[in-house]
Amino acid sequence: MSNEILIGLEIHVQLNTATKLFCSCATQGSEDPNTRTCPTCLGMPGSKPILNKAAVEKALKLCLAADCTIAPELIFSRKSYFYPDMSKNYQITQYELPLGTGGSIKLAKDKSISLIRIHMEEDPASLAHLGSMEKSPYTLVDYNRSGNPLVEIVTKPDMHSSDEARQFMKKLITLLEYLEIFDINSGIIKADVNVNIKPYPRVEIKNVTGFKEIQRAIEYELSRQKQELKEKKKATQHTRNWNSEKGITTMLRSKETEEEYGYIIDPDLTVTDITDPMLQKLKAELPELAEEKINKFTKTLNVAEDHAKIISTDKAMAELLERAAKQVAPDLAAKWIRRELNRVLNYNKKKLKDLDFDEENFFKLLKLIEKKTITDTTAQKLLEQFIVKPFDIAKYVKDKKLEAVSDSGSLEKFCQEAIKENPDAVNDYKSGNEKALHFLTGQVMRKTKGQATPGEVNGILVSLLK
Amino acid sequence: MPSVTTFVKKVHSGEINVVEHTAKVLQEAKKLNREYHYYNTICEPLAKQQARAIKKNPKGRLAGVPVSVKDAICVQGVESTAGSKILKGYKPLFDATVIQRLKKEGAIIIGKTAQDAFGFGSFSTNVGLDMKAPINPLDPTRACGGSSGGSAGITQLTQYPHLSLGESTGGSIAAPASFCGIPALCPTYGKISRYGLMDYANSLDKIGPMGKTIEDIALLLEIIAGHDPKDSTSLTSKTESYSKSLTKADHHIGIIKETLGKGTDPKIKDMVLNTIDESEIKHASVSLPLTQKYGVSTYFLLAMAEASTNLAKYCGMRYGKHETLKGSFNEYFSKVRSHNLNEESKRRIMIGTFARMAGYRDAFYLKATKIRTKIIEEYKKLFKTYDVLASPTMPIIAPTFKEIEKLTPLQHYMMDTMTVGPNLAGLPHMNVTIGEKDGMPVGLLLIADHEQESTLLKAAKVIENVE
Repeated sequence: MSNEILIGLEIHVQLNTATKLFCSCATQGSEDPNTRTCPTCLGMPGSKPILNKAAVEKALKLCLAADCTIAPELIFSRKSYFYPDMSKNYQITQYELPLGTGGSIKLAKDKSISLIRIHMEEDPASLAHLGSMEKSPYTLVDYNRSGNPLVEIVTKPDMHSSDEARQFMKKLITLLEYLEIFDINSGIIKADVNVNIKPYPRVEIKNVTGFKEIQRAIEYELSRQKQELKEKKKATQHTRNWNSEKGITTMLRSKETEEEYGYIIDPDLTVTDITDPMLQKLKAELPELAEEKINKFTKTLNVAEDHAKIISTDKAMAELLERAAKQVAPDLAAKWIRRELNRVLNYNKKKLKDLDFDEENFFKLLKLIEKKTITDTTAQKLLEQFIVKPFDIAKYVKDKKLEAVSDSGSLEKFCQEAIKENPDAVNDYKSGNEKALHFLTGQVMRKTKGQATPGEVNGILVSLLK
Repeated sequence: MPSVTTFVKKVHSGEINVVEHTAKVLQEAKKLNREYHYYNTICEPLAKQQARAIKKNPKGRLAGVPVSVKDAICVQGVESTAGSKILKGYKPLFDATVIQRLKKEGAIIIGKTAQDAFGFGSFSTNVGLDMKAPINPLDPTRACGGSSGGSAGITQLTQYPHLSLGESTGGSIAAPASFCGIPALCPTYGKISRYGLMDYANSLDKIGPMGKTIEDIALLLEIIAGHDPKDSTSLTSKTESYSKSLTKADHHIGIIKETLGKGTDPKIKDMVLNTIDESEIKHASVSLPLTQKYGVSTYFLLAMAEASTNLAKYCGMRYGKHETLKGSFNEYFSKVRSHNLNEESKRRIMIGTFARMAGYRDAFYLKATKIRTKIIEEYKKLFKTYDVLASPTMPIIAPTFKEIEKLTPLQHYMMDTMTVGPNLAGLPHMNVTIGEKDGMPVGLLLIADHEQESTLLKAAKVIENVE
């Protein structure tokens, strides 16, 4: 097939462990350079790595959730290359036997992205420059990051558009959040992107940092390749850099001069078995994942599928819906969580899980909506205030006399009553007397004790009298 | 001279003034060092400070005992270079686990001993640039053996009770012990923590005790052996009180016939066979064909592959020798490494890097890891029948510096032919001096099964007692 787009990703995700992969330095805390370091993550002579078991368990959970084949034993290798961000001039990674092989991540009913492998490795240090890397008179090294635990997820080139790559990244982040192995606020996602439009040769874009940057880099590269194909330029397989500032990729090296890493098994770390009981225990700890939530919401709770899908991308929201569904109609809860809560959160640039969310009061609000004690408009306004600063909603509604009837359901009822009780006015209206409608509106307004807008009542009356 | 145990008793009782004694030991060390070059660093302030502390509170199984430490083992605040110029000026921020254990028992660290840079050699002649090779205590024209040459030399020559820490990757404890005529033990891989040992080849490196008597090294072993959570490869099994188990036992010795053929000094061969005969230990001739054929090449491939990654960190960025910052990082790293690593270090980095390069690693590095497993099996099979295996430690007596100069790198590597086997297999082994040839000591190598250090020490004691 000509002009087919092939995209494969190698994604580095930082696991949210308290300590680094091979020493007991904290992964978070002081941001002052080189304060979270020890002889091991500084690569001092005589220091030795000790494997962080929590990191292994988190990585294994990801492998299990993605249906990978799990390696029978844990082996680490040394990947040797000289670079100033490398404390030992080799990186401890997995080469011979990755933790997981195969597996896949589902995008939709009929679309899955196959994985090649998932493995663990340590993060190098970070480099700091004065201004741009090219112009800086010096390079400073900060080893705070050195030794942070990473997992690398390598996909097959199963994505055929930048949109599919975006969907995949979204699904992956959702999965990581469900597994609680990644902290989106402090963790970094980096990727090497393999992309080409056939018959253009495969191009690898190195070190793209962040979800949105990955998308940008792919889009730029696809348009660049399209242009080259149009101009019939000759190209060979090569590696490119992503320049985020300029939004372009630039040539790094051709595949013929590919790096030589001289892998050996790291003799400082013993080979350990990954046992069945260990895997059984981790399996039992796996949470219900997004797909299972969607199923549950649509099948058991009868929530509309689009609500279910969107809510399930956020674990905290999905769990909120589960609890809300026990108090009010699930579909009503779903609608309000998906539309209104989401809207207010987005406006405030907040995530539900980061919020000190007053769930009981939120449920009270839903109940008031369900009973039509307050109008949707009132509820929306209350929610907006509530997210900024929680308060006792029921009391507030009572105190401020916000019990209102302005939603069409209740209004319709009052309108029908008014029509029934005033057959003369109805007849007058039907024979062309517009003033009779004003009279009927007045009757309805009296019934709602003034808590309705005349325009809305007017509209309902007109449609009922058609 | 009193044994270490007798000396410690006198320290405990106050009969020996540790401060005065340590001053004498330091004075001797400095004097001998001018002539014999046993120490890269003599840590006088630390030793004196420790001595004062012990005098105040004379406790510990090694109270006041002078200990010299191979330079590759980190001592906090004391220059530790692993015998290489590239680490000149480097003072570790932490003590190796073995040093912590020694200090806890009241030992006094006298200094860091001379060695082949990073352990790369069999004679301690491959010392760092601008450093001097240690000289054999029994004949100044001859070498000490390596790579723990300084440790062996000072242990033989000092007139005071003394213990020393050596380190062996392919024979670096047994070889200098044989050439200098002292007992020394290289333990089962993992028996003594490597935390704080500057790596040569991590899957082979073992710290081990060297001393004037078998009793002394049994005591030192008992103190430094045992599990360490800071070293992933550390064994979790319990240690025994080796010093109390030096009783006679019925052993069955297998004499490795391949070590007695061509290349071995016939006089040494006769001495080994006679000694075992006279010991009246039951013995038989055994064969290790695979080890004989592939031992040296397997050892060097693995050791150099690992070493070439271990030495990558020495690039003048964080510690040790620096140079003026100029050019790209690659140019800078190359400059620091070119100027400060010696020839043998460069040779091993190059061979080791080659052995693990794509396209070669299957044929060299990976094949060597497989053969190593086979070699272990070959030994294990013999240990079903025999308690201990025996061979000469070295095929020759300590060579003169002139003779060493004439050796090609390959002839140099072949010197380890008897010691690489047990080192590759991670088996405990030790050198026992059995006599002299031309006034130079001759050593017998005993090898036991994994974690059978007690058996090894008992057999050594029997061999030592042969008149």
